[in-house]
Amino acid sequence: MIIVLDALNRDRFGDLEQEMFRLRARVFQDRLGWDVTVRDGLEMDAFDALDPAHVISLDESGHVVGCMRLLQTTGPHMLADVFAEILGGEPPLRSPHIWEATRFCVDTERLSGTGRARNSISYVTSEVMVGAFEYGRDAGVTDAVAVIDPVMNRVMNRSGNAPYDYIGKTVDMGKVNALAALLDCSDERIDRIRAFAGIEGDVFLSEDEALDLISTHAAPPPEKSALEIYCDEQIAAATNAKERVAALKLKAALTDKIRSHSQVGA
Amino acid sequence: MDLIDLSKIPEADDRFIRFLDDVCQSFEFDHASYATFNPISGAVQGFANYRADWVSHYMQKGLHRIDPTIHFGRKAIAPVDWLRLEKSPHFNTVFANAPDFGVSDRGLTVPVRGPYGDIGLFSVTRDCSDQEWQALKKNVIGNLQTAAVHMHDNVMSSNLSMSALRLPALSAREREILQWVAVGKSQQDIGDILSISHRTVEVHLRSARTKLGALSTAQAIGRAVGLGVVKPS
Repeated sequence: MIIVLDALNRDRFGDLEQEMFRLRARVFQDRLGWDVTVRDGLEMDAFDALDPAHVISLDESGHVVGCMRLLQTTGPHMLADVFAEILGGEPPLRSPHIWEATRFCVDTERLSGTGRARNSISYVTSEVMVGAFEYGRDAGVTDAVAVIDPVMNRVMNRSGNAPYDYIGKTVDMGKVNALAALLDCSDERIDRIRAFAGIEGDVFLSEDEALDLISTHAAPPPEKSALEIYCDEQIAAATNAKERVAALKLKAALTDKIRSHSQVGA
Repeated sequence: MDLIDLSKIPEADDRFIRFLDDVCQSFEFDHASYATFNPISGAVQGFANYRADWVSHYMQKGLHRIDPTIHFGRKAIAPVDWLRLEKSPHFNTVFANAPDFGVSDRGLTVPVRGPYGDIGLFSVTRDCSDQEWQALKKNVIGNLQTAAVHMHDNVMSSNLSMSALRLPALSAREREILQWVAVGKSQQDIGDILSISHRTVEVHLRSARTKLGALSTAQAIGRAVGLGVVKPS
């Protein structure tokens, strides 16, 4: 299930964004050995400060299991800057119909390496791509240029999602290389990936659905003590302002007792 | 932030307003507007073909200071349907009276990011049913992206200090493909000649059109010839 985070909804999903940056640290620094900056376990760079869109895959318990970052090629983006070596000094593509996809990764620790079930690397890789392509298609985007590593390239080749071409050359990024692949955001490609991975129906969660899913693994709110329930009932039952003020005062006076009870309850 | 009406500056002709009218006419919108931010002062500058009384209401109340289509639109990657902004605190403040001025609160803002951190916002509105709106968006979204970047790049290059930075940086591949188009080869032919897919040819052409500020490939060839990048056939 996919949620797209951008500057408009990021405030509601602070924890989720952090979890994504932690996943990226594990993948790009620890596993792939790319030259990325990790602080406090979070992999973030200057492009995350430019309000990109993040396509995030959540598993059934609301954890981040895959992600990808999208930027417009008309403005600052990685191929124009830090990945310029891939283009061998040539200016990058620039079009409102072409987006750049970077930091594409899945959680190989949480996901199963074999099979095509929902919790498999194969499924989540496909789901992130379907989410990104459908989001791009609906924004009028026709093609994506994706900076990926050779392993991701192989996974895509095997999952109905082979790039139709590459631009520039493969460059050494650390333990593994990086290359720039071209992918069309077409219904044909989306259908192919969906058919391969068995993805049916709408992959996108609404913001409220995503928050509900995430809350399933967050700490449950402390249960109300009997005393607090009584106080709230008194507040609710107040028929005029005077009664309401009195009930609120009672609850305020009992705050300490209510707290200690609910802590015991939790 | 102060609102500057670019169309009131004496040197400016009415080409930007005509472009907005053209977009409305071509894609069946009621109104269109464009806004950008002065990189130094942060002032909002723009053009719109709204009714004059809405523009003066908007400016008198200083609504640009709180308008969520501006403040959220500038941070988005994908076009923002104003439906997404309805819950933001100032949406109603800005749009509550809009219908009295013939302005619909059903709209879409296409954000454009330029290479120097410059940002443009191209917005369109239409008073219609949900169903019509969804169908219209689907049909014209690609064209709106083209129109938005075209408007933005032209506004930016009408500013002398910015235009100096904006000589089109075509890649060797883009120049090569433009040259083949100039001598009359089809995309399929060019793909065969260069041993790349015709879709890759199309991607390079899209990019070349954007860099040359052209709406069609024919225009792009004309400009590339004018710049001496491509030899006329």
